[in-house]
Amino acid sequence: MARALGDTPGGGAAASGLPAEAFAAALAGLPGMGPARLSAILRAEPGALAWERIGGGAEWRDAEVSAALGARSDALFARWRRAARQIDPIAVWQTIVDEGIGVAVIGSAAYPPVLAADIEPPGVVFHRGSPDVVAGPRVAVVGTRQCSATGAAIAWELGGNLAAAGVSVVSGLASGIDAAGHRGALAAMGDGAAAPPIGVVGSGLDVVYPRGQAELWRAVASHGVLLSEAPLGARPERWRFPARNRIIAALADLVVVVESHRAGGSMHTVDEADRRGIDVMAVPGSIRAPASAGTNGLLAEGRAPVCCADDVLVALGLRPAGRRPRGETRPRPDAGDVPVLEAVGWQPASLDQIGVRTGHDLAVLAPALDRLCESGWVARRGGWYERVAGGTP
Amino acid sequence: MLASVASATLLGVEGRPVRVEVHVSKGLPGFTVVGLPDTTCREARDRVRAALMSSHLAWPNARVTVNLAPPGMRKVGAGLDLAIAVALLVASEQLPPTSCEGRAFVGELGLDGSVRAVPGALPLIDALADPEVVVPAGCAVEAQLIGRHVIRPVGRLEDLVSALVGRGPWPDPPEPVVLPPPAPGPDLADVRGQPAARFALEVAAAGGHHLLLVGPPGAGKTMLARRLAGLLPDLNPSQALETTCIHSAAGQPLPPGGLIRRPPLRAPHHGASAVSLVGGGSGSMQPGEVSLAHNGVLFLDEVGEFEPLVLDNLRQPLEEGVIRVARAAAKVTFPARVLLVGAMNPCPCGEGGPPGGCRCSGTARARYARRLSGPLLDRFDLRVEVGRPDVAELLDSSAGEATIEVAARVALARDAAAERNVSANVELPAWRLDDMAPLDRAATRLVERALRAGRLTGRGLGGVRRVARTIADLAGHSGPLGFEHVSTALALRADPLCLDWRVA
Repeated sequence: MARALGDTPGGGAAASGLPAEAFAAALAGLPGMGPARLSAILRAEPGALAWERIGGGAEWRDAEVSAALGARSDALFARWRRAARQIDPIAVWQTIVDEGIGVAVIGSAAYPPVLAADIEPPGVVFHRGSPDVVAGPRVAVVGTRQCSATGAAIAWELGGNLAAAGVSVVSGLASGIDAAGHRGALAAMGDGAAAPPIGVVGSGLDVVYPRGQAELWRAVASHGVLLSEAPLGARPERWRFPARNRIIAALADLVVVVESHRAGGSMHTVDEADRRGIDVMAVPGSIRAPASAGTNGLLAEGRAPVCCADDVLVALGLRPAGRRPRGETRPRPDAGDVPVLEAVGWQPASLDQIGVRTGHDLAVLAPALDRLCESGWVARRGGWYERVAGGTP
Repeated sequence: MLASVASATLLGVEGRPVRVEVHVSKGLPGFTVVGLPDTTCREARDRVRAALMSSHLAWPNARVTVNLAPPGMRKVGAGLDLAIAVALLVASEQLPPTSCEGRAFVGELGLDGSVRAVPGALPLIDALADPEVVVPAGCAVEAQLIGRHVIRPVGRLEDLVSALVGRGPWPDPPEPVVLPPPAPGPDLADVRGQPAARFALEVAAAGGHHLLLVGPPGAGKTMLARRLAGLLPDLNPSQALETTCIHSAAGQPLPPGGLIRRPPLRAPHHGASAVSLVGGGSGSMQPGEVSLAHNGVLFLDEVGEFEPLVLDNLRQPLEEGVIRVARAAAKVTFPARVLLVGAMNPCPCGEGGPPGGCRCSGTARARYARRLSGPLLDRFDLRVEVGRPDVAELLDSSAGEATIEVAARVALARDAAAERNVSANVELPAWRLDDMAPLDRAATRLVERALRAGRLTGRGLGGVRRVARTIADLAGHSGPLGFEHVSTALALRADPLCLDWRVA
């Protein structure tokens, strides 16, 4: 369909010099443009042509595209045409270039092959950092945001040991287990050669969510790669997180759930992994811990348990790294504090519970717990105390 | 004829003397009250008229002007009825002018000529300088408490008139009541387990530190809080009078002896409005719950469910011990020195005790936590997680320590505080902490680490030192504070998990 260049929305002579990625990014910013619609459109036409046709509001006769757009495609086209008038691909591209973000369009050489082979591939992948790191073995370390200190410590340890064994940790950068896994991997990189982390986020790469994680975002982007299918400026809307979980599952060779409540985001990641035939493993937890209810349920379904990083490495068909005993760097607790340490245990315990277990009153317990916290044997959060394994921060 | 009689009216919780002047002159019959009476006070005209007629006295068929001096101050309530009636009788020459010399009158009149009790009799009589005060028989016990006046309780206007003209005797003053010991409140022995929370109660009572109890429903927060007032020492005479004045002014029922000798416990519902909590009101200035809890315990159950704006009204009274309420009509100061106890759930679902224990989202927790503003949270030096007691503890038949034993230790700790010229350690000013609560070396290091870790703020440090001082006092330790005292104080200051919602 021949059109004068001047008619193309946001077009003009300058726009013709833009790469196809710029138009793909602009398409991703249209309202109601979900992953399925975007990849169908981009598969049918490269970015520039697709943008021109959508801006013109022409009907799309391609069977695959019509199927992806569904019955209400006319209304959708009208809406897109209105929205396209407000979007200037030149400005979109300029922001992307200024932010130092890479764009990989489905079908292009830069697009990660593992995603291209997926059943629901994202149409566009925005990345910050090096996308080449998506080449090596990858394990998703996921879990609840409301985790126990033990769960966070396990994720940290697992992330670190897997990264040190050359396995990239894939996670969602949420607070709780996700963040702990990546922090462990980053710590292992600080200690020596280790696989780079891969972070997959739900919002645009310039919208840090949760806000407190800005530092972790920077660290993952500079040491590994941060991926998102959401255009720049996209808010962390609810529907984006299940979509993000599907990319995590698609990228991983294996999914490890460290702690999960009975229903939650991690369980959605497990479903997505099952749809792709990717193995899921789970870390066993106490039957009394609500944060382990989901993971224990996974084990009951017959998934393999993860008790250390070697369990994961064996499942991946890699050589187990062997137990690397970490030097116990913490000072030995005072002899008098040892019964208190044993009474604290690996589950969060309140002062009253520790008091019942030891028979000590507060005047003895409080100083002992403070000494143990100081030397790193016990972690305190609010009024709850929990034992900490060696080597955790 | 002119007559002038002494009486008093209430302003907030204080009495103010009022002169009731009545002028009876020839002219068109009428009855005017001037001098800023409120509606109840203006209606005195009809009550007084009916009461005089029921008592076989004459209503002057003349022009009557009643002036309530000072005329610029608002007069509230029906307490001036008796004084108006007496002044009218003198001005209309039914009583001799001497009958109101050196004598003040307080009381409300019924249409049948009975003299009825008025709220706030205690502060009203306290404001009077006259040596003799005529009061309603219903207020006699309360009126005796001041002790400066000859109290003449009367039940009927007729009896008063016959006593004033010398026809009959004054009614007998009431028998001095033999004070029964105050009824004991709920006992601490009923609480099973909960050692940390029990100790926190003891420390709160001994040092006057505000206490926040955080725990799931059914953990016993309310049960614990209701036992705190029992641990506090008896009110001293001046405190007892202050507290009784407030309760009297608010029209609250007083104990049989008239005097409130035990620290009150007030537990307003979380639907309370700002005015009901701190006091005020459009017509008469009424004391709020904080003032009714003066010298006692203010218990805010489900503190997270109070309107945040209502709660923030407590910040100034908690700091200064008084509330200044200003309205267009008047400005009043209510005393409000309370021990604040708050109870709340750890998160919206209530089950979020231990980390990872509940499914409330971070935003839901944050929204819940924001209901308690930071400055208000800062006022709580004791923050204790209350868990559900273990089954073994619940079934344990051996009772916990009884209130009377704990109260004895609290009294000793209060004595130690009294030697520092404060009634409780919470009142120690910041500049005296270095003298009164010095830290030994190990304790200094512990505090330093807590400050570095962000677990403690500069303001919180003062609170921790005061609490540590109380803990040392309870243990009978008088020297510098050691590691164990500060460590225990820090353990009793656990930030509720919902306030630590940004979990990394």
